[in-house]
Amino acid sequence: MNREEEIVGILVKKFPFLQDRISVKKEKRIFTGALSRDEFEKIVRYVHDDMNLFRAHHVVGTDEGENIGLLYILSGDDNILLALREVVPKANPAVKSISDMYASIVLHERELADLFGAVFEGLPEGPSYPLPDGWPKGNYPLRKEWNPKYFNKETMTYEPPKEGEEKE
Amino acid sequence: MSEVDKNQVIVPIGPQHPSLDEPGCFTITLEGEKVVNAIIGVGYNHRGLEKACESRNYFQNLYIIERVCGICSHTHSTAFCRAVEELTGVTVPARAEYIRVVVAELERLHSHLLWLGTACHEIGYDTMFMYTWRNREKVLDILAAVGGNRVNYGVNTFGGVRRDLDEAIVSAILKTVDTLEDEINHYLEIATTETTLMSRLVGVGRLSHEDAIKFGAVGPVARAAGIMDDIRVIEPYGAYKEIPVKAITDTRADVYGRTVVRILEMLESLSIIRYCLKNLPAGVIAVKVPRRVPAGEVLIRVEAPRGECIHYVRSNGTEMPDRVRVRAPSEANWHGMKHMLEGGYLADVPITIAAIDPCYSCTDRAVAVHSEMDSKVMDWRELREYGNEWYKKHGVDVSALVL
Repeated sequence: MNREEEIVGILVKKFPFLQDRISVKKEKRIFTGALSRDEFEKIVRYVHDDMNLFRAHHVVGTDEGENIGLLYILSGDDNILLALREVVPKANPAVKSISDMYASIVLHERELADLFGAVFEGLPEGPSYPLPDGWPKGNYPLRKEWNPKYFNKETMTYEPPKEGEEKE
Repeated sequence: MSEVDKNQVIVPIGPQHPSLDEPGCFTITLEGEKVVNAIIGVGYNHRGLEKACESRNYFQNLYIIERVCGICSHTHSTAFCRAVEELTGVTVPARAEYIRVVVAELERLHSHLLWLGTACHEIGYDTMFMYTWRNREKVLDILAAVGGNRVNYGVNTFGGVRRDLDEAIVSAILKTVDTLEDEINHYLEIATTETTLMSRLVGVGRLSHEDAIKFGAVGPVARAAGIMDDIRVIEPYGAYKEIPVKAITDTRADVYGRTVVRILEMLESLSIIRYCLKNLPAGVIAVKVPRRVPAGEVLIRVEAPRGECIHYVRSNGTEMPDRVRVRAPSEANWHGMKHMLEGGYLADVPITIAAIDPCYSCTDRAVAVHSEMDSKVMDWRELREYGNEWYKKHGVDVSALVL
């Protein structure tokens, strides 16, 4: 059994709900399927505290239709990337920041707050990133429904067409 | 700004500087000359490239991705190509993999030479700045000969490379490599024996081994703190699987260590280029890749001159990606910057910021924080007048001085 399969085995044993929801994509790459906030928090705490996955490389935001996906990429000494996918509804995109465990994730979580509208509980105060000052509230450019052609850079307003009306 | 003690001064550095293309705003709180707090403000250059990728096909995106960075454009195009090749199951010809490595190492050379010059400029050592940039020109000439451009060479394409290396260009590269080896060895000698340079860099911008891990430092910043994170070694890709690569590390964990690491990495790059050109496989330089990319997702890691570069690509079976995310190495290195600046001196702020190899921005205005917690925003004219008055009260009249 290689190290990747060993990691999957440890996680499935600890968290039986991961059965068939975690897989080795290739050498040094392990991905999970969609995890609820509660499931994600348990796993990330465990891999940080007990499996010594001390490095958080990044968190990638994805649009999952009605939900937002947050793909956290973690690793330890063996340099195997474990990608944990937390999924929360756009209607209530509250998630717990993991910046208390991983100081290197702050900027990336700020980015998801700006671009996807994720609300991170426990994220330290600081300048927003990367959208400019004066960016209109409620506009999250990386959500699929946000279309840049309806954004007026001069007035910083977003004016999508009303229902049934297509704007030129 | 409202929480500063009396006699502390906040100096905003940035976000604009006439000669640098990457604006950032560093709000530095000083107690005397000592930095007691630093707020890092980045994001001024966010161009929405990832959103743009979602409405263009993969081939159009290759041009966008190559323009994420002007310095390590080949790194980004390599990562993006590898992502698409993995999603489509395409195997890149061996010759193309070697050519990619040659260009990547030339890119590392010009990036490190550029950095070395900039770093020397920041500490007032402009002679070294001129020498290193002269050498960088030689590398850029070679890159222009290979790809047709000094930056954004356009060498990569899905399934291989667009430009082959003929005998004439191989010979020209080897000649340049020989010249550069002498010059870079000379820079190594200067860096390790020139006491003025050493005294200016040793102990500056420290980020210990533990803190480098904590703040997720990558590339020469991490390696100077003893962390061997070179992706070419820990997760070899392409031709790096066959090419011997010696990862360079240091234990000094300061700007000096980062300088030595980068100089030694340049010498290693020269060895890699020589190996590639000596063992350049014969054969085609590209294979066809389908326009429609099967649904899937990949995480690609490559070693940029500044460290680990991650590309995430999610495809949906069409000609356009569903999601593209680029995590450049500088993005990872910002987290440790506050720690590196605090406890240091104002005079070391520029070189400390420069040492992670971003561009830093210079002062555009200053905020003076007086006693009783009053604060006032001043423009340059007001600041000069305030300074003149201050000196006049202390017995020195500099108001007649023309700057």
